[in-house]
Amino acid sequence: MEVTIKVFRYNPEKDKKPSYKTYKLEAIETDRVLDLLEKVKGYQDGTLSFRRSCAHGICGSDAMRINGFNRLACKTLVRDTGATIIVQPLLGLRVIKDLIVDMEPFFEHYRSVKPWLINDEPEPEKERTQSAAQRAIFDDTTKCILCACCTTSCPSFWANEQYVGPAAIVAAHRFIFDSRDKAAAERLKILNEVWGVYRCHTVFNCTMACPREIQITKAIGEVKMALTTGKLE
Amino acid sequence: MKEHPRTAPQKGFNFDYLMWLFTRLSALGMYLIAIVGVTAALLMSARQNMSVADLMRWAFMPNPNHVVNTNIPNVDTWKGIFWNVMGILMLLFAGGHGLHGLLNVLEDYISRTWVRNLLRGLVLVVWVVMSAIGIYVILTS
Repeated sequence: MEVTIKVFRYNPEKDKKPSYKTYKLEAIETDRVLDLLEKVKGYQDGTLSFRRSCAHGICGSDAMRINGFNRLACKTLVRDTGATIIVQPLLGLRVIKDLIVDMEPFFEHYRSVKPWLINDEPEPEKERTQSAAQRAIFDDTTKCILCACCTTSCPSFWANEQYVGPAAIVAAHRFIFDSRDKAAAERLKILNEVWGVYRCHTVFNCTMACPREIQITKAIGEVKMALTTGKLE
Repeated sequence: MKEHPRTAPQKGFNFDYLMWLFTRLSALGMYLIAIVGVTAALLMSARQNMSVADLMRWAFMPNPNHVVNTNIPNVDTWKGIFWNVMGILMLLFAGGHGLHGLLNVLEDYISRTWVRNLLRGLVLVVWVVMSAIGIYVILTS
């Protein structure tokens, strides 16, 4: 089948403003959008720029807006997009070139919630143990691959870049509810600020956008409940 | 399995937390007032003498002015301190809930702390003035 792919193009060194360029190419239903972009770059237009790395839905590099939805290009099939595909960079972040956005504000928020295990107690002889039930509490949020699909689909983040965003809250959730971690209070204090969880208006865009199917809005709700009740388990 | 209790999280008692909680509780409060209003109205012969529209108007603002144009023969049981308190509570909850909702959405777009504080002050003034006028109307009805 012939597929038409319309791609957002912007080179700040040459272009005054962004534009769209349309490419036509042969594809089969099981081709991924990433395959199409690779074909365009390899055979039609070598100037096209986009991020990709593992190409198997794990690294999160190729997150982009495909037909209006934040998706990983490596997990989106032509069968699901149809023969006309519009590809844009993620919204809410500065475009560096074409489909490449500046991820630094995203990672700054991610770092702000201290996404690492904090436990100053003396190390046990073996590993820090945890029951299956204790692990299950935060199992969902361990799946995050930091692709930024959630944060850049959030209207609150579009409105203001200072909002920590769903991905950072997911990262915080992963450690707040980890029984081995001792810094839940510290993280909750950060999320209790004006740019923390209260900017979430439960729009559910993040949950819809997550390529790992993490129940992000639910996780944010659990953080709000932890703030209210003080219960972590 | 746990050898040491985990650190208790810091409970938020800042403005954002309190208003987040107020928004949820005030919604439940409004539902409660409306249910009490509907139930009491049905017990006070609303089923025979009021339309559904009038009943809803009463439920969300239990004020005798909302009854006088119906077929209710005697409005006396529809007024008094209890219904004044219910009306005032509904007014305060609805005003606070709605204005904070507006403020919350506006704050998404506000980066500067002084602008946010100014807006919060402005909304508080609007809420107080609107509530004062509403309470005056309720008490003089």
